[in-house]
Amino acid sequence: MAFFEFNNIRVAGVACAVPKNVVESESYKPIFGDEEVDKFMAMTGVKVSHRTLEHQTCSDLGYRAAKELLAHKGVKSEDIGALLFSSHSPDYRRPSTAFVLQYRLGIPEEAVCYDISLGCSSLVVGMQTMASILSTSDMKYGLLFVGDTAGKSVNPNDRSSAMLFGEAGAVMLMEKTQDSTDEVKALIRSDGTGFKYMIIPGGGYRNLHASEDVEMCADGNERSLMNSFIQGASVFTFTIFDVPRLIKDFWTKTGTTPQDYDCFAFHQANLYILKQIAKKTKIPFEKMPITLDRYGNTSGASAIVSLCDVYGGSTEASTIKVMACGFGIGISLGATSFEINTADILPIMEDDEIYAEGLITYPNQLYEKK
Amino acid sequence: MDKLLEILQGIRPDVDFVNETELIDEGILDSFDVVSIISEIDDAFGVQIRINELDPENFNSVEAIWSLIQKLK
Repeated sequence: MAFFEFNNIRVAGVACAVPKNVVESESYKPIFGDEEVDKFMAMTGVKVSHRTLEHQTCSDLGYRAAKELLAHKGVKSEDIGALLFSSHSPDYRRPSTAFVLQYRLGIPEEAVCYDISLGCSSLVVGMQTMASILSTSDMKYGLLFVGDTAGKSVNPNDRSSAMLFGEAGAVMLMEKTQDSTDEVKALIRSDGTGFKYMIIPGGGYRNLHASEDVEMCADGNERSLMNSFIQGASVFTFTIFDVPRLIKDFWTKTGTTPQDYDCFAFHQANLYILKQIAKKTKIPFEKMPITLDRYGNTSGASAIVSLCDVYGGSTEASTIKVMACGFGIGISLGATSFEINTADILPIMEDDEIYAEGLITYPNQLYEKK
Repeated sequence: MDKLLEILQGIRPDVDFVNETELIDEGILDSFDVVSIISEIDDAFGVQIRINELDPENFNSVEAIWSLIQKLK
């Protein structure tokens, strides 16, 4: 069982940013029809989402969040020993986006930087990886970036996904301490049998130059091989059966119950799924923040988006115990617990800055002198 | 089977589940309805209907759904 327990790691703060551009689910009624959109909104809870500009990336949003979080915490860039970018939305096919963020933030060469290729479970797995790095090294601080721009790969006529995704970049500052009560725990599972359930089949090295011709798929939605596919029924059965089991197993392993947590910052998959998970695990739904209505499904960033939405800008500082849960593409799923001071949860920021130096639009741009 | 009928009617009160035999083939139930039914069946009967059982034939009528539940019990 992939259960991890750290007794010297704390979450020092979280922040997130979303694009300014807002898309309302209602705006899809001329494409999909009133009934379809109304049913979608009732089922998923998504009414509004924020979407990036053409060349704006998840790392642009994470960069803004990280700058604000480091300033808030008074932590200097040179104090960061590890930087992980845990996402399915890298700036480039290569190199890792972590290096771009390292350069932009002025994090020293002595730091370890790399990407973790995950979507909705990226926070939980990223936290486990970062905690492992910090607890076994001489580093004190690590920056974990999560989030996606999932909407960019969705065919606009795909009614199963076009309205679902919002876009966000989030960051978590983790710190190694000498206090054994600073606990981070994580339970992680993976199920490769579901690798086709959520997939972009083309553009990887299996089919690098896949056709972008759009076909009507058997589920009634138009897609090309370069688009995102979600087999909704398959995903749903995994979330309502396997996620509650994971959560209950996490409580058994940690000797905790739902009453031990102040907040259940769960991946905002969709409202119906979250209600089903709460019902099957007996988690009080009022302790599960919902941001689907205003931000959509923001993939791996969604748990932090929810924390920032509820506690960001809070004038009263208090320590809360959080259980986070991420589940999705892979199939990958995980649960984690940690404590955080609400004063270190920043409000959600809106940002449309694009990293100009990172936008390369023609080959010889790389050979031009600065 | 009465319990199953009660569940189905709770999800889609507008559908005649007693007599309808082409719930999927005729597009009477959509994917949202099916996932709701799967979840309710898990709660009520402790039966987990997985992806390999998501054959439309298993959801075309109340009898078909009931047979699937009996098979998986």
